[in-house]
Amino acid sequence: MNLFIRLVEIFSKLLGYIAAFFLMLGVLVVCHMVFTRFVLNAPTSWQTEFVTYILLASTFLGAPWVLLTRGHVNVELLPLMLKARSRFVLCIFAYSSSALLCFILSFYSIEFWYEAWDAGWSSDTMWGPKLWKAYLAMPIGFFAISLQYLVELICLVTGRTPPFGITDTKPNQEIVEQVL
Amino acid sequence: MSPMILGALAALVLILLLFSGMPVAFALGMTAVIFLILEDGIGSLDVVAETLFASLDEFALLSIPMFLVMGSAIASSRAGSDLYEALDRWLYKVPGGLLISNIGACGLFAALTGSSPATCAAIGKMGIPEMRKRGYPASLATGAIAAGGTLGILIPPSITMIVYGIATETSIGRLFAAGVMPGLMLVTLFIAWSIYKAKASGLDFNQPGKHFTFKQKIEILPKVLPFLAIIILVLGALYGGVATPSEASGVGALICILLVMIIYKVWQPAKLWDIFSSATRESVMLMMIIGMAGLFSYMMSSLYITQGIAEYIAAQDLSPWVLMLYINVFLLVSGFFLPPVAVILMTSPTLVPIILNAGFDPIWFGVMLTLNMEIGLITPPVGLNLYVIKGIVPDVELKTVLQGAFPFMICMLIAIALLIIFPQIALWLPEVLMGPV
Repeated sequence: MNLFIRLVEIFSKLLGYIAAFFLMLGVLVVCHMVFTRFVLNAPTSWQTEFVTYILLASTFLGAPWVLLTRGHVNVELLPLMLKARSRFVLCIFAYSSSALLCFILSFYSIEFWYEAWDAGWSSDTMWGPKLWKAYLAMPIGFFAISLQYLVELICLVTGRTPPFGITDTKPNQEIVEQVL
Repeated sequence: MSPMILGALAALVLILLLFSGMPVAFALGMTAVIFLILEDGIGSLDVVAETLFASLDEFALLSIPMFLVMGSAIASSRAGSDLYEALDRWLYKVPGGLLISNIGACGLFAALTGSSPATCAAIGKMGIPEMRKRGYPASLATGAIAAGGTLGILIPPSITMIVYGIATETSIGRLFAAGVMPGLMLVTLFIAWSIYKAKASGLDFNQPGKHFTFKQKIEILPKVLPFLAIIILVLGALYGGVATPSEASGVGALICILLVMIIYKVWQPAKLWDIFSSATRESVMLMMIIGMAGLFSYMMSSLYITQGIAEYIAAQDLSPWVLMLYINVFLLVSGFFLPPVAVILMTSPTLVPIILNAGFDPIWFGVMLTLNMEIGLITPPVGLNLYVIKGIVPDVELKTVLQGAFPFMICMLIAIALLIIFPQIALWLPEVLMGPV
């Protein structure tokens, strides 16, 4: 079990590195585009589309790593108000609904990607790249988040991590208590 | 089922999912999926992947990650402290100068990074201890920084404005320009209140023993002026119509990284990785919300909920001002619980047709919406800035921070009221810079 958890976490982290690299690449390509257009006065052909796709890929590929590092913002009010036991139950609900959604989305994005690949769709611009390349990050990303959620659920149920990652000394809790 | 009932149910499910502690993005996506299946069967899910992709397949959205890189680069350096130091060296003789330095530094740093929590952290670390050392009450010191930090989403470049601009097809350049005067107005209101409060607590504004030579004043400028120059250049390129927000922000991001490398010697791969990884985290989180919100509004409009609500409200024949009051209360309450970007994406597709119908200006509305969201940043239960401040000064009780922030919240409400009475505060600058619509 530990091996499975480790492997999924490494996979998520790896995707996170790729996402950050894509963001860096995006910055450079935008600058290259500006340089070509405004300094060289030459037309640009592929940059606009390329950066849009590369940042879309960065978003989908980065999502599992952001989940791993608890970066997806959520409303913590109720989890903080609840006692440990109900918090645990709520957390199982929250994690499994999120996992279900990501699983549904990975299923439909595989279908969508396959359609683009099978029919050889390409974008209707001058550059006209094959669209399956652009769509590929979506199924990979959602499949990886589903896996990461599975790991989160396993860690929750086996007591490896506390529900919602809340340890009882968090300052948020103090806020909620003072207000209510 | 009638669109109104369906809409109410969708809102209920969304609220339940949000409160379950699910990530905001997934709660939006789940609600969309549930209602698409309920109304049109499982077959309606065939379009979800395409819709999700299409809502992010937009060149203008690029400016969000680009500005995040820019902000992350600046926040990773000592630029915040230096900005504060510079203002302090120049203003220490002015009565209330310390307050002006703090709130001014917040406004400037907020403009540079576009991030409220980063501003609170960067300026607060220096400013709060300094103010307390000078005898300012802890509540005032912490409240001023918490409030100052909220300026980040109002003063350009602002991520929330970009999101609003894309969601409502409003010019991002105009929105940025529209945020400037209300931002300055808020800074003035904040400073006025702080000085009044400091005077009322019997503080002596003289800072004996503190002196800076002219040389010291000049010395610090090369560290801060380049960053201010970038912001002016980026915005200048936007208003000159030379570049789109995505292009301007991309170049700004690269220059900021280079500046941080040169001025603050941040060139180690590990530190550069920190800049990109924190920008990636923010960017992924925001873009995921944007994508899922796209799915959510697709569901809302394909089930005629958006249109139904707009028609229903139009049929009520409310006076525009009563309508505006309701909308403000609604936004304020949403802002108490949800991050600004989520509120904007969830509500603006429904609200903007309604306010256009009532004869209000969408640019002006964007500014007002942002002001409402700023209040949410310093009010419990999710007021992000409060946690950051509490993290900086653990010895100050949270109650004290809340008490300190409260009058600043009143300042923001006054700003909203002024903006409603005098819409020109927001609309004047975009008209001067970019001509009438």
